[in-house]
Amino acid sequence: MQITVNGKIRDVDVEDDMPLLWVLRDELGITGVKYGCGIAQCGACTVQMDGLAVRSCQVTAASADGADITTIEGLGTPDALHVMQAAWVEHQVAQCGYCQSGQIMQAVTLLDTNPDPTDDDIDAVMSGNLCRCGTYPRIRAAIKTAAAKMQET
Amino acid sequence: MFLRQFAIGLLAAFTMSSVVFADETDVSIVPPAEGSVSIENGLDAFSRIYEVASHPRCSNCHVGADNRPMWSGPSYGRTRAHGMNINAGDSRIGAETIQCSTCHAYREGLNDTPHAAPQVAMNWQLAPVEAEWFGKSSDEICNQLRDPDRNGGRTMLELAEHLNHDLILHWAWNPGGGREPAPYSLQEHIDDLLIWGVAGFPCAND
Repeated sequence: MQITVNGKIRDVDVEDDMPLLWVLRDELGITGVKYGCGIAQCGACTVQMDGLAVRSCQVTAASADGADITTIEGLGTPDALHVMQAAWVEHQVAQCGYCQSGQIMQAVTLLDTNPDPTDDDIDAVMSGNLCRCGTYPRIRAAIKTAAAKMQET
Repeated sequence: MFLRQFAIGLLAAFTMSSVVFADETDVSIVPPAEGSVSIENGLDAFSRIYEVASHPRCSNCHVGADNRPMWSGPSYGRTRAHGMNINAGDSRIGAETIQCSTCHAYREGLNDTPHAAPQVAMNWQLAPVEAEWFGKSSDEICNQLRDPDRNGGRTMLELAEHLNHDLILHWAWNPGGGREPAPYSLQEHIDDLLIWGVAGFPCAND
């Protein structure tokens, strides 16, 4: 199969039913995406596929063939953070951090479709991304900050 | 009487008594002969249709205008709204919030993992709001299903064909992951729909 990951075309030789999560982590060494539950109950493995958030533990390699994948590594760099990553830093959102790459990828998708979300809008989209540290208030604040900054530009 | 004539007219329009649509499955769509089904037998068939329509595998996604899918049934514990604060929006696919396909990915093959998001080889979605079944009575569902304004404008044969080609519906009879399947079989359900239709779509409240 061939996929584009963070702008680079990658060829991988895997079984059709291998989850995209393992294609990214084990085959391509892209480890920002995390394994949480493996059954789409937690959101830790969220990446963007063709611009939409997906749980990479649920997407088969066959389904991802030819797709354009963006992971947390493809959003920004330490020197040039994505506005959502910068807002995450500003609000010191992360505690243990394990769920945060999935949270950010879902949050970016949220602002792609709703650039000025209310608290209810945020809760409707982000409630599928669990954080056992309970950083939800800071996640909400960071998304609002990112939304405001994106509207300025 | 109108409904009986409507059903007979539809049969005539299709001109055959043994139409088979087998593109997607091995299911056959073969209506009983015109005039061969009594109203009583039609009502019996609908009672079985209602068992299917009201079963959690079907009704959990046939919800009303709040656009919130349900979690209910023997493998779901207490009846409650879908976890994660899910609201599929007026689009019924989550376009306004989080798309159903975020978790209910495209999959060819069986669902074999307990508690995982069910997946089929088409986009996951709620049924149209006009087809609200969750918590509805037999009479309410009966009247909805025979009303072209609320059944997608479908004739009897088109309803049967819809059952044949909609892969989310097929999943209801083979849900995997420890979930209880819908009663009867897809073929028996289609047969009951055709029996009910040839009987003139009777409802108990007629």
